[in-house]
Amino acid sequence: MKIAVVIKQVPDVEARIRAEDGKVSLDGVSFILDGMDEYGVEEALRLREGGLECDISVLALGPARVQDAIRTALAMGADEATHIVTDDQLDALAQAKVFADVVRMQGAELVLLGGKQADWDSAALGAALAEELGWPLSDWTTSLELEGRALTLRHDTDQGTERLEMPLPAVVTTQQGLNEPRYPTLPNIMKAKRKPVELLSLAELGSVSSLTRIADEAIETRDRRNEILSGDAATVAKELVDRLRNEARVLA
Amino acid sequence: MDFSLTDEQRQMQALARQFARDVIKPAAARHDEDESYPADVIEQASGLGLLNTGVPEEYGGLGLGMLSEVLIGEELAWGCMGIYTILMASELGITPILLAGTDEQQARFLPGLVQGPALAAFALSEPDNGSDAAALRTRAVIEGEEIVLNGSKMWITNGGLADLTVVFATADPEAGSRGVVAVVVEKDTPGFSHVKITGKMGQRASYTAELNFDNVRVPVSNMLGAVGDGFRIAMRTLDKTRIPVAAGSVGIARRALDESIAYARERSAFGRKIHDFQAIQFKLADMRIGIDTARLATHHAAWLVDQGAPHGVESAIAKTHASDLAFDAANEAIQIHGGYGYVNEYPVEKLLRDAKLNQIYEGTNEIQRIVIARGLIR
Repeated sequence: MKIAVVIKQVPDVEARIRAEDGKVSLDGVSFILDGMDEYGVEEALRLREGGLECDISVLALGPARVQDAIRTALAMGADEATHIVTDDQLDALAQAKVFADVVRMQGAELVLLGGKQADWDSAALGAALAEELGWPLSDWTTSLELEGRALTLRHDTDQGTERLEMPLPAVVTTQQGLNEPRYPTLPNIMKAKRKPVELLSLAELGSVSSLTRIADEAIETRDRRNEILSGDAATVAKELVDRLRNEARVLA
Repeated sequence: MDFSLTDEQRQMQALARQFARDVIKPAAARHDEDESYPADVIEQASGLGLLNTGVPEEYGGLGLGMLSEVLIGEELAWGCMGIYTILMASELGITPILLAGTDEQQARFLPGLVQGPALAAFALSEPDNGSDAAALRTRAVIEGEEIVLNGSKMWITNGGLADLTVVFATADPEAGSRGVVAVVVEKDTPGFSHVKITGKMGQRASYTAELNFDNVRVPVSNMLGAVGDGFRIAMRTLDKTRIPVAAGSVGIARRALDESIAYARERSAFGRKIHDFQAIQFKLADMRIGIDTARLATHHAAWLVDQGAPHGVESAIAKTHASDLAFDAANEAIQIHGGYGYVNEYPVEKLLRDAKLNQIYEGTNEIQRIVIARGLIR
């Protein structure tokens, strides 16, 4: 069977992002494979290492630079990749349409992807993709077992966790704790060079367009209040506890 | 002229950066303090293919070029120069075998170095001579099919831990540099022993030893090249392997800059962040100037190696400039940190102690300047 892992390239966690003229500027930023997607790649590899006969196909959408993230996923051990090349920013629903087409084209039966995307912090893609495909979804998944064609999963909910059972085909999004992703080794980095990456243009997949357009972007900054409590230690401690309890609400 | 890296090189760099950040950096302070060998880190590095990257593909290795090696080296040294030195010195130990070993010798010695966390070592310096390498006193006497070694080697990184040590000895003390032989000595050869050198100022994670040879017998087939080739093999080796020293130095300097920026952003004085002061900004700018120029010199020298072009002067320039710059950058990083820079709560005092060695090993910077000057006044 075929497992599709949808990945995204996002700014490095240590990158300093600026907004200019109502748009986030990514100039000079270094990019990495999204950590949440690494869980997806790792889980596919573990299924194969657990004895499942499968091809692992990586799917990515974005500009040419996304190749680097694709190569990382291939160097971790995925078999092949499809890169839908576009400089356009598509919203989650439009992306889901594109990915659903490719998933159907390739005949994949399990789709793994990040629970959310670290760049715009959207968690919509997995759900939108499941909807588009008409497949069951386990989001925020922390454990996955496959017995024949039956999936058993544990996933996070707002207040706790649930155990889910569902048949293939299915869409599974990742959560921290699902696994510990491996590093791509140097030998695998060199082998990845020889793995096939298919390039598709967005036009080849029929017309898709976003229903939403980002009209203006700003980066949240929090001004510190720079208040210094004064008085003797006992007074300051009392005041601090009071503020932590009643203002910050971090103490019960 | 093309300064761009291949996809593959960027991936390798990213892996090394991640490994330095996640594994080396957190382990660095402990091994520095204990002066202990980081066996677990080296094992993980080996598992990722970061160890002995120069072993050619036909012997099970990756056969990485020098540019790839220095890209990786800069990243690893950012995490800890002492830990990087272990890996770097192993590549140093392999280099004479690559340069002068026959196919048979390479097939015999190299595959074992990529099947697990195995190290190589390079043994040239002696207790009474270092830079004056032609004056070495370790004796090699050829008796039929065997070479008998007697003497001592000093300051040998990975010494005693290494599976293979390339030992330089003289078969004819009267002949000076023309009497030197290069001999591969395997770890458990009878009569071969070592003593760990402790009390090092920096790079305390790397294992440095004095090696002793007491009637150590190895087959003549372990000799690289012929009698008298040893000195040239050693010099050709160092012409190459000084470049990773330069790369490591750039890594140290980059760490000094990163730590300085982070501190200057947090620390206030006279009601402002100290990075608002031009006195601090100029130090940061000077570090950046040094890092970029040293990196360019390093990449250029590495590129020459990969082109098969002469590179002795360029590697000397890169090594000298980069290690001097690393020392200066670490020094200024301490100055920026003030009193906190002088204690080991912050990592910058270690950078200075580590960088000092880069000005000394694989040919002191004074020897490098002699190499560079010779080319000018010839």
